[in-house]
Amino acid sequence: MDISDILQSLGSRPAERDPFAEDLGDPFAADRGQQSGQADLQALTRTWVNERGAAELLPWPRDGLIERATNRIKQQIELVEQMTGDMDPKTNFSLIIIQTEVERWKFLIRSYLRARIAKIHKHTLHYLSTPALLERLSETEVAYATRHQQLLHNHYLSSFLGSFPQNLQNLNDTAGGISMITGPDEDGGVFVRGLGSRDIGGEGTITVRGRGRDGDGEVEVERGEVVVARWSDVRDLVEKGEMELV
Amino acid sequence: MALPLQAGLTPMEVAFLCEMEMVTVVPRQRLERLNLLSGPTPALRPPHRAPLPLWLALLLKRQRRANILPPPWLLPSSLERILKHETETSPLAFSPPPPHPHPITARISPTDHISPPFLPSSTAEAPPDYLPYHWLELGEILLEAASDDVPEPDRVRGLLRDLREVRMSKMRGSVKVLEGEGGGVSKMTGVGAMEVAEGRGFILGVLDGLRRLGSSREVARREREEEEGGGEGSEDEAMGFE
Repeated sequence: MDISDILQSLGSRPAERDPFAEDLGDPFAADRGQQSGQADLQALTRTWVNERGAAELLPWPRDGLIERATNRIKQQIELVEQMTGDMDPKTNFSLIIIQTEVERWKFLIRSYLRARIAKIHKHTLHYLSTPALLERLSETEVAYATRHQQLLHNHYLSSFLGSFPQNLQNLNDTAGGISMITGPDEDGGVFVRGLGSRDIGGEGTITVRGRGRDGDGEVEVERGEVVVARWSDVRDLVEKGEMELV
Repeated sequence: MALPLQAGLTPMEVAFLCEMEMVTVVPRQRLERLNLLSGPTPALRPPHRAPLPLWLALLLKRQRRANILPPPWLLPSSLERILKHETETSPLAFSPPPPHPHPITARISPTDHISPPFLPSSTAEAPPDYLPYHWLELGEILLEAASDDVPEPDRVRGLLRDLREVRMSKMRGSVKVLEGEGGGVSKMTGVGAMEVAEGRGFILGVLDGLRRLGSSREVARREREEEEGGGEGSEDEAMGFE
């Protein structure tokens, strides 16, 4: 895809060798140890569900998860192309299985990226205006958001904004204590599951500090328990990996 | 290009997730080990059982290359016990979810934070008498695609429907305790994925409406508490010591 993908594939090659894969003669199997493939699928699924559940854009995974996953898919497709050469009915069925799995991975990634784009569309200026929020976007997403905002702004200027007086042309005024830039609703409710605390020696119970109408309180959430809470109360726990959205 | 969907998984997406659950199959044909993206599949040798993700098991089942062993909790006797628990033992709360198969030990392990659909809660070795997170979807999918592998499919279908109705009314009833004590965090222990997907719009809508109605009251309370001494910022770390 781009240079970072290539670097990624070079970097990951010697690290994870699967001893079983060698004798199968699969040139790409060395990149896909059982542990890491399964671990990536689990991480990717969780990232996708979290992103689909939150109203706000979540940080882009900085450990190269998406790049790794797209790389795996690319290699698997190359393998499929090689295998289509010999049309023996037996390999034919294996081919269907492999392709079905590739489609499932592709769906996960595509849905994840599209969910993010939808959020960027909705509140472009919100994410572009603060460095902390900008950090959450991947490089391509920053480029996309900037370009999108640019096009939109030019369109507004040429269609109506240009005929306004100079001092009314801003799109990011904060006059009167109200910002023109709107963001997602951070207090909206979410369904979250406790995954267990990261503390060593704990029982896996997490304490959620909730803010309610009639009083604030602390609720102990056990591993595997699903609760309804305000997003702003559990956001840090989700980002730490102690909870996940469902 | 942007996804035109609301926040939260749709029932279709929940079913997609459910297809990642592991099930146990009895192969009817040999199939060599395959290097899939999520790791190699076990070589299938009839009549040896093998664990496979549900989507693959369904693919094999449709081509009559394997049979699927239904999980123990999907048997009528187990479902009846769960239904009894739901209606008689705890008529207000959901029946408890299956215990986590990987207990937390002092050593950090990658299994510490695994959650459904990656827990083996629907294989032939899964514990009976507990409804796993994806119970409804898994039951429906197996009844549709592999009803000849499920003993007494009509009874199972009826029991699933009963369970669903009992639990849906609990889900609706849970609205009463929303925004109650506990600072707006309410527990839904034992709830299923499809139930969350179906009830999400309603429950979050109620929660949101209540929050908007009570927001001025909440702000006023917060200001009052701050004036009274601001003794709120005590960062205590009460972790797991009882």
